[in-house]
Amino acid sequence: MVPILGRILILMALLAASAGALLGFATGMRPNAAGWKWARRLAYAFAAFMVLANLTMEYALLTHDFSVSYVAHVGSRQVPTWVSIVSLWSSLEGSILFWGLVMGVYVAVATWRNADKHPEYMPYAVGVWLACGAFFSFLLAGPAQPFATVPNPAMDGPGPNPLLQNHYLMVIHPPFLYSGYVGMTIPFGLACAALLVGRLGNDFIRPLRNFLLFSWIFLTCAIVLGGWWAYEVLGWGGYWAWDPVENASFLPWLTATAALHSALLVERKGVLKGWTTILVLATYLLTILGTFMTRSGVFNSVHSFTQSAIGPTILVFLAAGLLFSLVLLALRVDSLGAEGRLETGPSRDVMFLVQNLLFVLFTFTVLLGTVFPLVVEAVRGVQMSVGRPYFDRMSVPIGVVLLFVMGVGPALPWGRATGQQMRSALLPPLLSASLLAVAGLLLGVRNPWTLLALFFGGFTAQVTLSEMFLPVRQRMRSHGERFVEAFRQAQVRGRRRFGSYVVHAGAILAITSIAVSSTMGSSKEVQLNQGASSTLGPYTLTFVNAEQVREPHRVSVQARVDVSKNGRSLGALYPRMSHYENQREPIGSPAVRSSLTEDLYLSIHNIDSDSVGLLVLINPMVSWIWIATAIMALGGLVALVPSMRRMAMTASAPVPPAPVAIEGSR
Amino acid sequence: MIRPEPARRSRVNPKVLVVGLVVALPLLAVLVANLGRDPHSVRSPLVGRPAPAFSLVPVGGGAPVALEKVKGKPVVINFWATWCVPCFEEHAALTAAARGLPDVQFLGIVYEDEETRTQEFLRQRPSAYPSLFDPEGKAAIAYGVFGVPETFFIDGSGRIVDKYVGPMTRSTIAALVARAKEGAR
Repeated sequence: MVPILGRILILMALLAASAGALLGFATGMRPNAAGWKWARRLAYAFAAFMVLANLTMEYALLTHDFSVSYVAHVGSRQVPTWVSIVSLWSSLEGSILFWGLVMGVYVAVATWRNADKHPEYMPYAVGVWLACGAFFSFLLAGPAQPFATVPNPAMDGPGPNPLLQNHYLMVIHPPFLYSGYVGMTIPFGLACAALLVGRLGNDFIRPLRNFLLFSWIFLTCAIVLGGWWAYEVLGWGGYWAWDPVENASFLPWLTATAALHSALLVERKGVLKGWTTILVLATYLLTILGTFMTRSGVFNSVHSFTQSAIGPTILVFLAAGLLFSLVLLALRVDSLGAEGRLETGPSRDVMFLVQNLLFVLFTFTVLLGTVFPLVVEAVRGVQMSVGRPYFDRMSVPIGVVLLFVMGVGPALPWGRATGQQMRSALLPPLLSASLLAVAGLLLGVRNPWTLLALFFGGFTAQVTLSEMFLPVRQRMRSHGERFVEAFRQAQVRGRRRFGSYVVHAGAILAITSIAVSSTMGSSKEVQLNQGASSTLGPYTLTFVNAEQVREPHRVSVQARVDVSKNGRSLGALYPRMSHYENQREPIGSPAVRSSLTEDLYLSIHNIDSDSVGLLVLINPMVSWIWIATAIMALGGLVALVPSMRRMAMTASAPVPPAPVAIEGSR
Repeated sequence: MIRPEPARRSRVNPKVLVVGLVVALPLLAVLVANLGRDPHSVRSPLVGRPAPAFSLVPVGGGAPVALEKVKGKPVVINFWATWCVPCFEEHAALTAAARGLPDVQFLGIVYEDEETRTQEFLRQRPSAYPSLFDPEGKAAIAYGVFGVPETFFIDGSGRIVDKYVGPMTRSTIAALVARAKEGAR
């Protein structure tokens, strides 16, 4: 019964999406009110069917209905309820179903918000969204069917991948990732619509930018949550390994970040319109490439889904998307035109370009490293992997230069800067730059790249903070307001600008923390008998005992390790090894003692009742990466909220265009 | 392509098209060329070598079965366990293949599992061939088993012709058995 209901809902979603896509395109070409109304209704219907299909699956998971193939595959009566709920995205078919849910919600919200705006563009946009929706519905109806009927259902199932059950971060990471990934469909549809119409006006770049920013916030968090999860669960002591699946999420992030910046130039100067659409289209195509990477079984990765038959189907979709985008761009990119001219001299304008080119270079570098093993395999039949050295060697210089550009750009004025302006903009930040670099030197930093990152980090931090509060200072001076009042007033007018600089502040913190944590750590492997101690840096570790912990879904052996720092006791840490019912290899869970300056990280290699093999690491400043990400996300939200409010306002009453020129101006 | 009225100019921009194709086509070509590749499969050094000998007691007891004894006809050795879902999936295909190919000796070897659970599994899903118990995992080590299911195809002369990792279907079994038979000639 439940499998049939699920299949019917998927088929209805497929039907609604296909019909809506056709109708959207038809209405775009020959505008008519009835067609547009029905296209919207079909978009809502698609969303509703996806929501219902997901609810049906959740019901099946919670009631342990093993006649549903997906439940038979990942369900288990042994696991806690929360694990049953999140099993929805623990395996291939369910994750595509969840993808459909996120997509349905995005499409419905984007359609609803713009239902009576941009009449020229919106039918095309809905057409493109629903065409993408139709593809994912098709996946669910055929190649990745979660609702197949199991004829003789078993009494119990194997349960989801134990790694998913091992840490709460795995519960929140996938929803964030999907909200980021799938959200890129919306800007993609809007950019396609702009190309199809042959115009990208200032009114239309705004919803595009907002949805891009919204998804970008989620993607940023998702990437770092993934790293955090790897750090807390995988036990090798790091948070980023340039694994193909990590790269899959990083690639669209890079192009989306570039697009967010070039969109600002579209808005302010009416330039780079074609370039921005290229970046937005590339972002979406990279999310599809990422989907292929994680789900085709072609890439060797710790966290890809297992081999599956949907690889070829996704590849066909990717090829179709690429072809569609290329033809569309080739035919229409020139028609978008430019209203202004880009400055060529030293200016903020040019730094935007430099920033964009660096991000594109970064994208190609990571893409090349990711697919290179496949090239070698295809050409020479030899298995190889591109390891961290390549990625580190390439990304460190790009990252450090980007850090610098993030400081130089906002310091320079729009338009051409005079020598005097350049000097007064670029010389003062050298103070903070030198201070931070010297502080690093005194604290023992010797790696030249880390020192450079600190130097540029200081430079950019000073520029960012002074830019962030520039309107406040101006108000305090010109209006004689007190700080709080001036801050509030500045927020009303230039909140987006303020938010952007908060994001920059987070990014500076993130890059410098990454530089410090990856070069300033220390580590040691020890084998300790019961009662024995070992030291690393200021820490002394004593292996007290090993004990077994039984939970319904796993059996763990945990080591009690007493920790003291400089002779002062810090209590005990409990790294553990867990055996899951259906898993051959035990899964280690490291124990991490985090502080703002450094983390002490213990991971078990081997353990028996009277001896333990430990990997001990001291990782400085890792906590700051998580904090920096929160700051970036917060800044993104601050920048997003007023635009959303404004959109809501314009939706209710036609208000004259908001004073965009005030934002971002010096 | 769709052409709405307001388009100002609609000439093809060759630069965008060429650059796009230069990036997209090789990328797609590489992905297509690698479809179906399993990055986890590493060619076993045992392929082409004589199959390691073993003598193991069948699940549920009885006289030990030695590889030596079944020499002369192709042998299919399937390493499996009750806790392995893919093994469960391929069980029916293996049983059917064993019934349909009486001139081939099928053997299961239980990998890191408890005997009672194995017996229970086989009681519920009868098999057409014996499964042997490998209590210390010596056979698994000799065959370099990394994970289950792994299946080895041995020709009549006792040489390993192929190794397959992951669950098999009847057609993969048939194709690999055919190669094992060829190898004997």
